[in-house]
Formats: sequence, C-alpha cells, structure tokens
Amino acid sequence: MTERKPLRQIAIYGKGGIGKSTTTQNLTAGLLELGRKVMIVGCDPKADSTRLLLGGLAQKTVLDTLRKEGEDVALDAVLKIGYNGVRCVESGGPEPGVGCAGRGIITSISLLERLGAYTEDLDYVFYDVLGDVVCGGFAMPIREGKAKEIYIVASGEMMSLYAANNISKGIARYATQGGVRLGGIICNSRNVDREIELLQAFSKELGTQLIHFVPRDNIVQRAEIRKKTVIEFEPASNQANEYRTLAKVIEENRNFTIPTPMTQERLEQILLEYGLMDA
Amino acid sequence: MTTKSNSISDPRYSCAVGATNSVVAIRGAVPIANCSPGCQLKQTAFLTFENGFQGSVYAGAGNMPSANSTENDIVFGGIKTLDELVKSTLKIFKGDLYVVLTGCVGGLIGDDVPSLVRKYHEKGYPIVAVDTAGFKGNNLYGHEEVVDAIIDQFVGDYHGKKQKGLVNLWFETPYFNQNWRGDYQEIARILRGAGFNVNIPFGPENNGVKDWRRIPKAQFNLVLSPWVGVRNAEHLQEKYGQPFLHISEIPIGGEATSEFIRNVVKFAGIDKLQSEKFIREENRIYYYYLEHFSEFFAEYWYGMPSEFAIAADSAYTLAYTKFLADQIGLIPRKAIITDDPPQKFRAELERLFHDLTEGVDVQVEFEEDGYLIEKAIDGVKFSSGKPLILASSWELTIANKKKALFFEITPPSSESLIINRSFAGYKGALNLLEKIYSASVGGK
Repeated sequence: MTERKPLRQIAIYGKGGIGKSTTTQNLTAGLLELGRKVMIVGCDPKADSTRLLLGGLAQKTVLDTLRKEGEDVALDAVLKIGYNGVRCVESGGPEPGVGCAGRGIITSISLLERLGAYTEDLDYVFYDVLGDVVCGGFAMPIREGKAKEIYIVASGEMMSLYAANNISKGIARYATQGGVRLGGIICNSRNVDREIELLQAFSKELGTQLIHFVPRDNIVQRAEIRKKTVIEFEPASNQANEYRTLAKVIEENRNFTIPTPMTQERLEQILLEYGLMDA
Repeated sequence: MTTKSNSISDPRYSCAVGATNSVVAIRGAVPIANCSPGCQLKQTAFLTFENGFQGSVYAGAGNMPSANSTENDIVFGGIKTLDELVKSTLKIFKGDLYVVLTGCVGGLIGDDVPSLVRKYHEKGYPIVAVDTAGFKGNNLYGHEEVVDAIIDQFVGDYHGKKQKGLVNLWFETPYFNQNWRGDYQEIARILRGAGFNVNIPFGPENNGVKDWRRIPKAQFNLVLSPWVGVRNAEHLQEKYGQPFLHISEIPIGGEATSEFIRNVVKFAGIDKLQSEKFIREENRIYYYYLEHFSEFFAEYWYGMPSEFAIAADSAYTLAYTKFLADQIGLIPRKAIITDDPPQKFRAELERLFHDLTEGVDVQVEFEEDGYLIEKAIDGVKFSSGKPLILASSWELTIANKKKALFFEITPPSSESLIINRSFAGYKGALNLLEKIYSASVGGK
C-alpha cells in the first residue's frame, strides 16, 4: 500500500482578467487526467471559476445558499461534481457595490470546513481568488491552515506585473506568520515582445521561478465558448499539452520561497530594461 | 519605567454610537441604532447605568430600536435589515424626530445609509442619518456629529431675523456628564434670571423639535464647555451667521457665577439692570448659606481634606479644580483630564489650570489609561491628613490605598445614584460642598 501524499492546498492569484480561472481549470483538467482528486473553490463574487469544468454557470454559490436558506446548508447544495469527478464550489458574494465580499469569502470557507468539504481523499484544493489581495478577506485562502502554496498568473503586460508584485507583498506578510510560500509565476502569454525574458527576470527578482510559460492560442477561447477546458475540447491539441505540462510541473514543484517584493523604482527599472516603458 | 502602550484599561468614555443617548435627551426624539447586538447594551450600561444609575426615557436604554447586525448584514450589506427596522420603528414609536446612528458594521462595509434615510425623508418623515462608527471617535465626537446632523438634515436653512436675547445653550454632554440634567436647569435658571430667553437643546427643559427649530433664530450660541460643542458652534456660525461665546469653565459658586453672567451679558449687549439685580439676589442667598458653612469650616478640624487629586473629563476636572482651589482653598496636587480632548484645545486647558487662583496652579495631564492614572495618583505624596480624590469608580482602590475621601464624578460611577443633582452655578456649589464635607464628617 502506498502512503497517501498530504493534501496540497493551492491559491491562484493575479490581476483581474489575466486568466486565473481559465488557467486553474485547464491545469486542473491536467491533474484529473493524472488521476488526482481535486476541489476548486472559486473566491470571486462573479462566481465564474468553475464554469469550464461544470459546463456552465449552473452552480448555486455558498453565499447565495446561505442567504436564501439560512445556516442549515447541506454540502451537496453548494458542492457540484464536474468534469472527470472534479468537485466545484463557488463562494459567491454580495451584489456589486454592497456588503463586504472579503468577509463573504471568510464566511464561505468557514462554512465549507464546517460542512466537511475537505475530505481525506483529496489531493488538491485550488482557491481561485479575484484580482489583488485588497483586504484581509481576500487573503483568507493563504492564512493559517489553508493554502500553503501560491502561484501568481501574470503576463508581460505592465499592470499585471504591478499586481503580481503587490500580491507578493501580501504573501510575504503571511509567510512570516505561517507556512505560506510562493511556488512560482505562471505566464499566461499576451504575445508581448520579449515576454519570456521579462517574466524570467521578474520572477528572479521576486525570488521565485517562472514555472511555466503558457503560449497564447485561440483554441482557449474556442473551448471557453463551448464551456469546456482545452483538454476536454481538443485533447490532442498543442495547447492541451501545455496545460498537461503545467499540471506536471506543479505536481513536481519543490521550489517554494518567501517572495522578495521589489520597490516601485526597481520594478519600473526591469520594465524599462525589457522595453515595456519608454525612458 | 512605564511607557505608554496602545491599549487603554479602565475606559472612561464609550464610542461614537453612544451618542444615541444625546438623541434620547431630546424630548420626542427616537434614536435608531444601526449596529451590532450588544453595542447599545454596552453604551447604556456605561453612560446611563454605571454612571449614577441615571435611568432613561421613552426610546432610550432597553427600549431602543437596534438593527442587531449579524454576519449576513456584513457580507450582503445591512440596508435591508435597516429598512425593516426603520419601518417598524415608525410604526411602534411616535416620534417628532428619528435619528439613525450607524456604528462600525455599516461604517466599515460602506452601507449607503444616507440614501435609505433620504427615501423616508422624501416621504415626509422627520428622519436624519449620522455616521457614528465606533472607530471614528468616542461618544463626545458622536455627540457633536449628532448635533450637526440634526442641524443640517432636519433644521435646515434659515434666512429670517435673529431674536435679541435668545441664546442657545450648548453645555454638558447628556448622560456622559452625570449631573447634566441638574446642571442644564441651574444654568438655564441663571441665564433666565439675567434676562435671557434660553433655548435648551437637551434635557428636562427641552421642548423637543420645537426648540431645535428655534436654534437659527437665536442671537448667539453659548458654548459652556472646554471643547465639546465648539465644533457645532463654529458650524452654526457658518450656516446661520450666528456668533458664539465660548466659556470653558462651568461656573461654580457666587464669584464665578456672577462673573459668568457678566461675561454673557456683555457679549450679548443686553441691559445690565436685570442681571445685576439677579446677581445681587443670588449672592445674598448664596452667601447666607456659605456663612453657615464657613462657621463649620472654621471650627471642625478633624479629617478635613486640604489637598486633592482629580481625574475626569475636561469640563468637570476644570470646573471642580477651579472651585476647590479658588473658593475653598484646597490644594490641587494632581489634575488629569481623561476625555482625550482634541490637540487644539489642550494649550488653553493647560493655561486655565495655571491660572486657578493667586499662587495656586497645577500642571494638568492628559491621560486615558487607568493603569497610568492610578500610577500618577499613587505617585502623589500628600501631606498629612486625608486627601480628597474626585474621579471614577476605577479609582476606588487607589483612594483606599491613600486613605482618601473619595467622590465619584465621572463614568463609571457605580456607587452613586443621580436624579436631579447639580454642582453648577449658585445652588450647585452648595450641593458640592454638602457632598464633599458630608464625606469629611463621616457620612458617605
């Protein structure tokens, strides 16, 4: 009998619109192919973190259920099984402009723990967290007892690197208090000039690695329109293999560090070196 | 050596949402507390219960409508809950004015309370909204916010004439200053006696919203307080072009009260005939009693205090220190102000404590932490005889240690019951003497 590997809880951060949900779901499809048991917890009020794995946005969010049905919630009311047995949960949130989405994530994750969503057979739990670490609520997945591993999705675009550096400040803060570590930067390419070199230099400065460079391919958009991951939509495509590789490197990753966020001046200097900013 | 930390033990004020009690102090006004369960219980316990067991009226204390916001209100916003609360309050409480005070929950998540309140306002309900999130300041800050909110959202603009001799009295903070009811009455009596028409926004002589609507018509505003209310008077000056007179010291005793009257009369420019006649009559009675007291004071020598230490809010610390030093001849050995006055008022407060009476002064200290206050009083080397300590119930221990006569004057005060008590003006001074020297002769 082989010894079970401990559960890996992974949080995926990155600038809004960078492709966190797409990347997380596609790499999950790769892990599922390897026979891993995975749960995805969407931590975004838009509740669109599990659409490709569930074939649509049919899921009731934890907070909606809580609001409509009260505290007495059954796990199967909020946890849905999707592609290849993946377990999907959407935290959800208040309507735009009211309430506190950050507190919503805390409420939601606490409820999942109480309902026993974190079963022993799981290999991975992914938290797909919106945009920046704007407040304590959005840092919930990386606080004590939750995700110990973080990947930041970025591209060669300036604002995505600003965000990644800022997120690293949040990670560094929690790293000194608990065991959270940065596992690397995932580049979701935007076909920017010298993108790979820039991301490598940026990662190095941040004290981490560029764990994988995912090239841009319109097949991703075609799969998204059909509410599928690329691996499900076109299993034989090059892009499907890219996500399989990403799954593999994450599975094998042992390089976890406390990030060393850079000053605004240093970040801008790197951007200048790689031609992103005019002097 | 003890250094100051960021924590405060033995609190001496409550938080901004405690200003619900200022609303309770307006006849016919109903506070609507938009805060978590327990918030108002604590405010009531601190400001009205463990502060002379003052009690409350109508929609105050346990009757107060409260949103009792919970986690759902934080995550999804608390507007729906508040909407239901306002609707129910309007059904249950007949009010001439409703004031929604939003505490930390709504303040933190940014609930748009003004929009909701505007909806009711547009339907014709007399309702205003105030941001009194506890993290913004203490109950004194909250009190000033409530006053400005009622002026701006309820009283509104006024372009009519001013009424000569009509004065708005901005004085002690309701419930927080434990003698507020009696003190308002005594100062109002004095001002009326001097020839003024007095408009009183809070307390037993307030006539509800009718008096609030009279505010813009007054000739001037009188702020009788070291700092609370000055911000409101500045606002009224800007809004209605109303001048204000700021007097920091609550007058106690014949001399101070007569001087107070003369200052107010001079500022208002009203006829002195009536005020001088009033001063004469009041002094005749005051000194009639004081003569009796002085006979006792001269003859009785056992256990009489000659020195005192005081720790209370700015208003009472200043007023009592002045009276005891200037009129009774007690030596102030320690004076500590505990209500965290804004920086801009501190230099003037320091000056006033340097100018108590000829040859007597004390370096006033500003401290809110119970540990440091106790330490400061402990450090005073009183000369032989019983010292007098005027402070809160927190200081009972140190008073016992110092074998002092002890007298509660500020919250928390859990060994006094106060209904209609005043230490202000002509009459109040005699009450204060009775209180202090009853303790000296063995009563408590």
